[in-house]
Parts: sequence; structure tokens; C-alpha cells
Amino acid sequence: MGCGVFAVQAINLRRNPILNFLLVNRWPQLAIRIITLAGFGIVILGGLVGTPVGSQNISIVLLWIAWWGLLILFAVPILGRGWCNICPIPLVGEWLQQGTVLGPVKILRGISLHRPWPKRWRNIWIQNAFFLGLAVFSTVILTNPVVTSLAVLALLLIATGMSLIFQKRAFCRYVCPVSGFIGLYSQAAPVEVRVIDTQICRDHPEKTCLTGDENGYGCPWGLYPAAITKNVNCGVCMECLRSCPYENMAVNIRPFGKGLFNPRERKLDEAFKSFIMLGGALVYSVVMLGPWGELKLAAYLIGSPAWLVFAAALIFSVVVLLPGSLYLGIRFSGQRLTAFQLRREFINQSYALVPLGLAAWIAFSLSFIFTNISYVVSGIGDPFGWGWNLFGIADHAWRPYLSTVTPYLQTVVLLAGLGYTIYTSVKIARETSHDQSSLPLIGLSTALAMGHLWVLIG
Amino acid sequence: MKPAAVLDKKYLILMGIAMAVIAFAPLPDRRTEPETVTVQIQAESYAFSPGIVEVEKGDTVVLELTSMDVVHGLYLDGYDLSVTSDPGQTARLTFLADETGSFRLRCSTTCGALHPFMIGQLKVGRNDLLWRALAAMLVIGIYGVWSVRRASD
Amino acid sequence: MKSETLARSIVILVFVTLLTWLGLAASDRMDILNITASMPERGGWQPGDFTARVGEPLLVHLTSHDVVHGFAIGQMEGFEAEVLPGKVTEVELVFSEPGTYTYYCTRWCGPNHWRMRGTITVIGEGKPEAEVVTQPLYLRLGIDIDAEHPAETIPPGKPSAQEGIGLWGMVPSTYAAEMLLRSSSPAELFIRMRSDSGLERVSDQAIWDLVALAYWNLTSEAALEEGQRLFSENCAACHGVSGQGDGVFSGQLGEDTHQAAIPDFTDPARMLGASPALLQGKIVRGGMGTGMPYWGTIFTDEQTWMLVDYLWSMQFDYPIDEGSKE
Repeated sequence: MGCGVFAVQAINLRRNPILNFLLVNRWPQLAIRIITLAGFGIVILGGLVGTPVGSQNISIVLLWIAWWGLLILFAVPILGRGWCNICPIPLVGEWLQQGTVLGPVKILRGISLHRPWPKRWRNIWIQNAFFLGLAVFSTVILTNPVVTSLAVLALLLIATGMSLIFQKRAFCRYVCPVSGFIGLYSQAAPVEVRVIDTQICRDHPEKTCLTGDENGYGCPWGLYPAAITKNVNCGVCMECLRSCPYENMAVNIRPFGKGLFNPRERKLDEAFKSFIMLGGALVYSVVMLGPWGELKLAAYLIGSPAWLVFAAALIFSVVVLLPGSLYLGIRFSGQRLTAFQLRREFINQSYALVPLGLAAWIAFSLSFIFTNISYVVSGIGDPFGWGWNLFGIADHAWRPYLSTVTPYLQTVVLLAGLGYTIYTSVKIARETSHDQSSLPLIGLSTALAMGHLWVLIG
Repeated sequence: MKPAAVLDKKYLILMGIAMAVIAFAPLPDRRTEPETVTVQIQAESYAFSPGIVEVEKGDTVVLELTSMDVVHGLYLDGYDLSVTSDPGQTARLTFLADETGSFRLRCSTTCGALHPFMIGQLKVGRNDLLWRALAAMLVIGIYGVWSVRRASD
Repeated sequence: MKSETLARSIVILVFVTLLTWLGLAASDRMDILNITASMPERGGWQPGDFTARVGEPLLVHLTSHDVVHGFAIGQMEGFEAEVLPGKVTEVELVFSEPGTYTYYCTRWCGPNHWRMRGTITVIGEGKPEAEVVTQPLYLRLGIDIDAEHPAETIPPGKPSAQEGIGLWGMVPSTYAAEMLLRSSSPAELFIRMRSDSGLERVSDQAIWDLVALAYWNLTSEAALEEGQRLFSENCAACHGVSGQGDGVFSGQLGEDTHQAAIPDFTDPARMLGASPALLQGKIVRGGMGTGMPYWGTIFTDEQTWMLVDYLWSMQFDYPIDEGSKE
């Protein structure tokens, strides 16, 4: 399949000695994780002791403007699971599980039962459900410091508790609601951790990347690094770089979206994740950014009849309506498909929604991040709304930034997302020579992108 | 038979030209006599009503903001103007609508939890960016369909 | 395992430092009285009452937990602090006389805004300030402010103070007495003037113009302006900017009120039968059960009269050339 435009060779970042040191040495990662842990500590504390006014409380400002902005505008599209590398949520649990702070140790001395995660749940259905479960409460979580604080605290406690019962980063891989979508979208990211020469791995009897050694832990995400072919489950924690005695693991720069064309390991749970995410971004945009006050109140007044309708509509559209229309579209696309083929085409095509979904989240987030970024300044100056004036910036007045540029950025992002989605769809359809499977996806994604753009800049 | 590439140079150039035309083709001005348009906007429960205000380029716009519950503000994107209204006390914002496009009205005074999402729209004239972008999306979609057809022929 | 020890020390150091700093910062707040404001249905002022000592400055941090509020103390003119969501306004209160003061919200924060009041008890030496030296006029006159007060007669057209100027020379000076004007309704004043033999040849409309002028003479541009400001800040949310009873909260007064129809201040039949003293009583005492708050602890006597004066400007044509006023 000729594709001159995207035929760029992967570049291994480890060839640069400085980057190699930063990636492999344990200290930089630990230092950043201590900082992010302190940051999350402030988020939790801020919600509990600070003002209940979200825009003036560091917990909302730090998490939903600063962290979310960096995550969705930079970390996920550029680094894929880069955030997971420095995420503090499982950190305390890992310390207890491993018995060390810096690590590594060959024999884990921590206080965990090290149980294997149940086979039945080795997929991301829990993450899908967890994300949707949070999504129906999103307007409250997003605006209410105490709720944000308790939600983060709950994640921290669940992660820590799971580290004490299960092996490795079971929480990250199978439960964390954020991890699920970062993993899905990391397929589009231009960074990957891959083995350089699989033959070296086959000839390596100890397989230290699995078992761990005095330089690094066995893969905390439960993968066999030599067999990594897609980004979804690789947390780019760099342990295999450390434990491999042959420097056989690379951190590659690759073309955007390349990971989507990998026909192996496409799964129904991940297919649904792509619908949940794309649909979620659209529903959020309509509810939070639209001019319709009733929708906002419906989403906010948890427990009210209007909220029940909102929650049901949200779940219905992302779990039934969107996947259902693609499924039926492929079913009636004029091809002869067996039930197995139909299911496979449906799953395959769902992956094509990854670029548009990511673009939709970026476009949605652009609408409120730069608008509200001035709260980050005043929030750092007076984190709890107690009248502090650290660095003399507490009185920085609210003012939207880049509001005239944002619509153009959103347009470009959505156009790029749509283009890449359609390109991916057509290319994926050719893998199985069922070209027409991409017709319904093209129609669906074009319509959704147009609708989304209308909501955002119309 | 080997199917044609999804993207080959010839068609990419064609797409590029199409996109350039969509992006830059001059559109006729929608000429109207300038008027003074007075719009009463009520602010209540995280919403402006009407939520969408439409005027023509060149109009003098008077926005009369009345809060119906708590103190609200109104900040107008693009024009960088703002005004505050206490409940029952109407505040006025007068300006010349000389920038075309769709601009967001945002509440500028913290008015409760959903304050950051209290958003309305001011549409001045025709929203060229939106129409051009929608056309571009349509072209991308059509190109996709066409490349499928081309492959299955 | 030297590096492991170092790593652990760093972790402990970072978090101990963070918590110590926070603890110290929080303890700094101990000497300050923190008052939070929320909409009345969510708690209003917290604390709802506090104590101060005469002559001792009290440092207060005001903050709002939801929307914009304002802080002021009743009968203390010229002092008002904005209370903004999530922001802290620092004020220093010094009381020179003991007594009980009312502090209240100055910015409309919902239909129950006016319920948002608290009490400051000031203890110490000095003459008690809150004791009312003279009773308000409506009490001295023994007016039943809850009784109906229809106007005995109403003017054919809107009375104009300007029009009355030319005839004012004919009016006996008794009609300019403040006590008489404050205690009689415009309709009563009209009836008295009408039956005055000196004014026999003057038309009804002209008499009404004289009535308007008589009330105008009691007030001033500045007082009317202040009255208008007080009205729009404190009254217009229910009574409407125009006074017609169509304010933004007119349809949603609290459920425990009788939802009595809000009076139309532009209706002559209703208003011209009320004396300034009666209106003063309604403002000072409030209308029990109708949702009308009491303002006695908040407005000064002077402010109440300015409000009453302003109400007459809804009945009478007041714009008047300053030069032609006697």
C-alpha cells in the first residue's frame, strides 16, 4: 500500500545520551512523581479546606484547568501514555507493594498479597463503566471542589488498596477511568516503547523484563515487552529499559496515528471506549458550552428527573446510538458478511474514530482552558480562597485568553481529526478487503464533526 | 489487482487546491442598512435568554442585561467588553458590531457552580469560518466515499 | 541502600514541609473573624451573630461561598464592603458605642436576599446607641399601618410641581409645615386646600399641582437622587424599577409569605391615600407576612424619608427647574 507521505522511519530517542539518562535513571521520574503527588495532595486538601467556589479553589483550578489542559492538549496527543509515567495516583500503593521508594528490588518486600488480577476482568470494560459512571456526574465533579477532592482521594485509595491485594499496576491497567482513554488515544501518539531486536529477547533465558532485576522491575503493566505491538496497555514506565541487560528496548518517535493500522489485538472493549469518548466529548460540548441553560441544570441537579433523563440520554447515545448506527451501517453496507466478519468490521472501524475522538476532546477543551486559564494564576496566588497573596498574583482578574484564535484552532483540529479518521477508516477497511465497511463510518464521522463544529464555533 | 492508494499525490494536490479554494475564496458581503438593535437579555440560572443574539455587521448594538436571580456579568468575546447587572437593575452595553463572526457571551461575575459554563452567543453577520469549515469537512467526507468507490470498482 | 534512604528522606521532607507550612498558614487565621456569606437558603451569614468590644478594632475577613454579596452595618452610612465568591475582603470594624447592630447583605442574592441579616453585640463603656431616643413618627401618630388607606379623591391628571410654582404665593404658609405634610396623605392635603376659601377659584388640577409642590418643597434634588439609589438597590428587585410591583422577584417571594400583591406605587388611588408617616412605618417595620422586610435597623431616619420622598416622584411630576424653585 503506497503511502509516501507517512513513510517516516522511527527514531529511537535513546540514541541521545541526555534523553537516555533522563528516561532510564530512576531519579528524574521519582522526582517528578513526588511533585505530582504533592500536587494531587494539594488538590485533595484544597477541596477539603478551601472555598467551595470552584474557580477560586486550587483543587478545581489545578486539576481541571492546568492538569486536564496539559493532559489533553499535550500529553495524550504527543506522548500517549506519558502521563502514566509520572502519575502519582498509584505511587503510594507501589511503594507499599514493592517495599521501596526508589527501587528496584529483586524480591518485593512490600506488604501486598500480590494476587493475580481475575482473568474475567482482564479488559477495559470496568474502565468503560467507571468513566461513564463519572461522566454522568461530570458537571458536579468539574465545578465542586469538595467533590473533586473526594473523587481524587477515592482514586488514590482504590489504587493503593488494589496494590495491596493485587500484583503490579492492576488498578492502572484495568480500573483507572483515565487510563482507559489515555491508552486508547495513545495509539495515535507519535511515541512508542518497542523492542529493537526480538531475537535477542528469544535468546535471553532470564527475561528480566518480565521478572525484574536489580536495575528495573518486571513490567508493572503485566506485558511481555518483547511482544508489545501496540501502545494501549504500555504505560511507558521505562522499567523494561532498565531491566533489559542488552539495551534492546527503544523509545521511538513514529508518525502520528501509525499505531491505528496495526490489525492485531483489536478488541470490542476498546471499540466501545472509542464511542464512549467521542460521544462524551460531543455531549459535554452541547451541555456545557452550548447556550441552553436547561441542559446545564439538568446535568447539574443530580437525582432530579431532568438529570435522570440527561444521564440516560448520555449513556444511550454513547453505548447504543453511536455504536448501533455504525453496526447497522456496516450490516447494510451492501457487502456479504458473516456474523463473525460483521463483528470484526465493526470493531475495526471503531478504531478509526480515535483521531476524531481525540480531536473532539482537544476542541472541546480548547473552549474552556484558555478562557479560564487566568484562574490558574489567581488560584496559585490564593489556593484556598483564604485571602493569601502568594507571589502577588492572587488578584489577577478573570479574563478569557485567545478567544478570537480558539475557533480557528478548533476548526483545524477537527478538520485534521476528521481527515485522519476517514483515512484510517479506508485503510483499515482494506485490510480485510471489505472496503465498503468504511462508508458508514465516513458518513457518521463527517456528520458528527460538522455537528460538533457547529456547537463549538457556530 | 492492487487497490489504489488512499492518498496518492495527484489527488492530494487536488484536495489541497479544493481546501485552498474553500478557505480563501472571496464571498460577497451581505449588505444591510446599519441599524440600532436593542436586545434585552435576561441572566438567570447559568443561562442568558435569549441565548443567541443575531445582528448584522455595522449595526449599533445595545445589550440590556437584567439579572433575574443573583449578580451576573456579561463578557463579550472578540470585542473584549463587559458589564455587570445586579438583580432587577438593568445594565447597558452599547457598541458597534464591526467584527463579523460568532462570539461567545460569558458570565463574568461568579454566579454559582456552573458559572464558567454560562455561555451565550452573539452572531454578527455571516459566520464565514463555520461555513468554510463545514464545506471543507463535507469535501473530506466526499473524498473518503469516493476513494472507497474507486477501490471497489 | 544509601540512595533508597535518600529517596525516603526526600519524600518525608517534602510532605512534612508542605503540611507544616499549611498548618502555620492556617493557624494565622485564628486571630481573624472569618465571616462567610451564602444565599439565605444555604445558610446566609456564618456566623449569624458576633460580639465586639467598644473601641477595640475587630479584623474581619469576609468571603462568599456562592455568589456576589455585600456587607454593611445598619444605620452606619458610607460603609459597604463587597463580598465576592472565593475572594477575601478584609475590613476592620471599630465601634464607638455599645449596643446591638444589624449587619446585612447589600447585593441582591436571590428572592430571600433580605433575610440575610446578622447581629453584632457591642459591649463596653459608653452610651447605648441603639436606644431610640424619639419614636418614629408613625408610632407617635398611632397610625395603623396595616389598615387600608384608599385615597378619598384622585387627581384628574398627573400633578406637576412645576405647574404649581406660579400659584404658590396664594397658598397659606400653614400648608408648608413639615409636620402637617408628613402626617397627612396627599389626598387629605388636597381636601384641606380645596376647602380653603383662599383657593376657591383655583381648579382641582391646579390644587393637585400645589400639593405636588408642597411635597417637593420638603425634599431636594440630592435627597431624591439618594432616595432613587436606595430604591434601586434595596427595593427595585421586588417593587420594580418603575415601582409598578413588577420587579424580577415579584413572582417568587418566599413560600412562607402570603404573596400579597406587591403594591403599584404609580397607582394614585392606592398611594395618594397614604401619608409619608404611614409609608415610613411600612418601611421601618415591614409588612408582617407579606414578604416586605423591615428596614428600621438598617436605614437611618433620614434615609427612610429620602425613600418616601422618592416614592412621591412616582405620583408627581417632579423634574423642576432649580432656578424657579423658591
